[in-house]
Amino acid sequence: MREPNAIDFWRGLALITIFVNHMPGNLFEPFMYSRYTISDATELFVFLAGWSLALATGGSRGPDSPAQVVMRLATRVVEVYRAQLVITAIAFAMIAAAALYFDNPLLLEWHGAGAFFGAPIPSVIGWVVLTYQLGYFNILPLYVVVLALAPVFILIARLSRWAALAASFALYALCLTYEITLPAWPTEGSWHFNPFAWQFLLVLGFVASQWSRDSAAFQGWAWRLMPLGVLGVALGLVAQFSEWKPDPLNVPEPRLFFIMDKPFLSPLRLLHFLALALAFQRAFSLIAPIGGWVSRQLSALGRNSLAVFSVGSLASLAGQFVRFFTGGGFLVDALVLFLGLGAQIFTAWFVEWRSRSSRPSSLSS
Amino acid sequence: MALAFFPPVLALLLTLSGGGSVAWAQTAVPVAPSPADAVDASLSPECRVPGSKLYTLAPLRAVKRALKESRAIHVLAIGSSSTVGIGASSPASAYPVRLEGELEKLFPGMEIEVTNRGLSGEVASGAAERMKNTIAEVEPDLVIWQVGTNDALARVDIDSFSQNLDDTIKWIMSHRIDVVLVDPQYTASLARDDHYGQIVKTIHDVARKDGVPLVLRYEAMRYLSSQPTASGRYLARDQFHLNDLGYRCMAEHVARAITLALVEPEQAAGAAAPVATATAPAK
Repeated sequence: MREPNAIDFWRGLALITIFVNHMPGNLFEPFMYSRYTISDATELFVFLAGWSLALATGGSRGPDSPAQVVMRLATRVVEVYRAQLVITAIAFAMIAAAALYFDNPLLLEWHGAGAFFGAPIPSVIGWVVLTYQLGYFNILPLYVVVLALAPVFILIARLSRWAALAASFALYALCLTYEITLPAWPTEGSWHFNPFAWQFLLVLGFVASQWSRDSAAFQGWAWRLMPLGVLGVALGLVAQFSEWKPDPLNVPEPRLFFIMDKPFLSPLRLLHFLALALAFQRAFSLIAPIGGWVSRQLSALGRNSLAVFSVGSLASLAGQFVRFFTGGGFLVDALVLFLGLGAQIFTAWFVEWRSRSSRPSSLSS
Repeated sequence: MALAFFPPVLALLLTLSGGGSVAWAQTAVPVAPSPADAVDASLSPECRVPGSKLYTLAPLRAVKRALKESRAIHVLAIGSSSTVGIGASSPASAYPVRLEGELEKLFPGMEIEVTNRGLSGEVASGAAERMKNTIAEVEPDLVIWQVGTNDALARVDIDSFSQNLDDTIKWIMSHRIDVVLVDPQYTASLARDDHYGQIVKTIHDVARKDGVPLVLRYEAMRYLSSQPTASGRYLARDQFHLNDLGYRCMAEHVARAITLALVEPEQAAGAAAPVATATAPAK
């Protein structure tokens, strides 16, 4: 078990933010940092995934061989894919159970689950091939594809980090220019998160992680650019409060470069996240000495992110049901938050307890 | 049954090719509630609902413009699984496909393209933003927005729902794109839900305030299900999603509302439209 560290801490924060934000309208949403920023916890999550890939594949015992890199990533892809299938299955069952129990067929509509109950034949196929994603259950499919793409960039980065960045940016720019994405099916439209765009943030995290370890020049520049990061965060705050957003019908072509678009991780969101990362690059070292129990728990959540994310997703769905049937309110929302966080903290503890006890487990993530 | 549509459509096309704006008010079309609250006979028998329980009208300027320029009309259908066609026996029975058929029947010779986008159930500002991006991508003349179900589920605050709806409609209209709203479906178990009722009412209020046509799906379904012969005919086995007949009615209802909205006078100046009922289409 790792000591609390910045990566796990911020990832824990991202997990909690996602859990709360996935219960729209709840009273604790205004306390989440993402309320005040253009980018949100998804950016943080993917960037940190890239960052820790560099640690995992470049390890202290010397870097993995190319075959090891591919195998390590393939193992991770399978784990994440399996988690997505399982949490989607449980979500279907929760939605069906709620609809039966409350005798309210409207619930079958929840988050696009209507397709599964109304047209199971194509939906089952879409569920397994990840083209059918329930609302808010769309981050792990993104993660599966970006992790599957990652070995290419990791191996290019062995030759040249700049080349890896350039290749990744080229793919990003290409898919924004030509609006290339993966289709949703049997529902209409496309993936909620376009993996070909989001892979750029993963690669940025990966390369930044490597440079931050072995390049004094990078560390120097990151520190010197911190005021710029603070400025970017401040501008984001202004944009958020004034509800400023470029009008998608009034921007030049290719329009995805100029609007604020989450599926394609449009440049404004990306730049805002980089500003955030610059501004808070050393914040953990200030928080850690005074963070105590809170920072230890956040780090524990971050260490076990896949299991915690899975439980958090289901907890937020359950929380939405509770809010629907009770009508919400402070007590209900506080209770939902308390129980949901409790479930996630317990999950982190449970996974580490399992891996400490000698039973073999593939869940140690 | 298709024949029944012709008088209004012919009148419409004639007006479009020749007339100035004055002609609109004189077009002989059976506009909703006059004289009595009669069942709208231009719909196929199983789908007949009185006009007052089927739509509230407002002009559709962009579609009118497209008709005048006789170019293809692009329609974007946005909504949840009713738009995706859940419960239909085949994709061809889904509502957008049917709607395209209905509209092409109503406007013979016109090219009509219906693009269909379901929303995955996300609500609030995120969904509005995503919708704007979709509209920018498709660049339609008309957006048919089936709205409210997901917001009712998430217990979205009524004021912020109203504000969001209003903002988005104003944004769409500011780009000279027409909007037709479709309110949520009716089922007996939902009739008791207060918040659901408030969402439906809010949609009506916003439609009136912003001057956009509204298809009263909730009212129409309630009316149909109250008919003695109705029991379960319009819903799929899950008693919630529409079945083929339900989708056919929905497509007819939306198409009917669009047709009537097209002949709605530009300045709906109070005076209950002096519309003749003479040509009220006979069956």
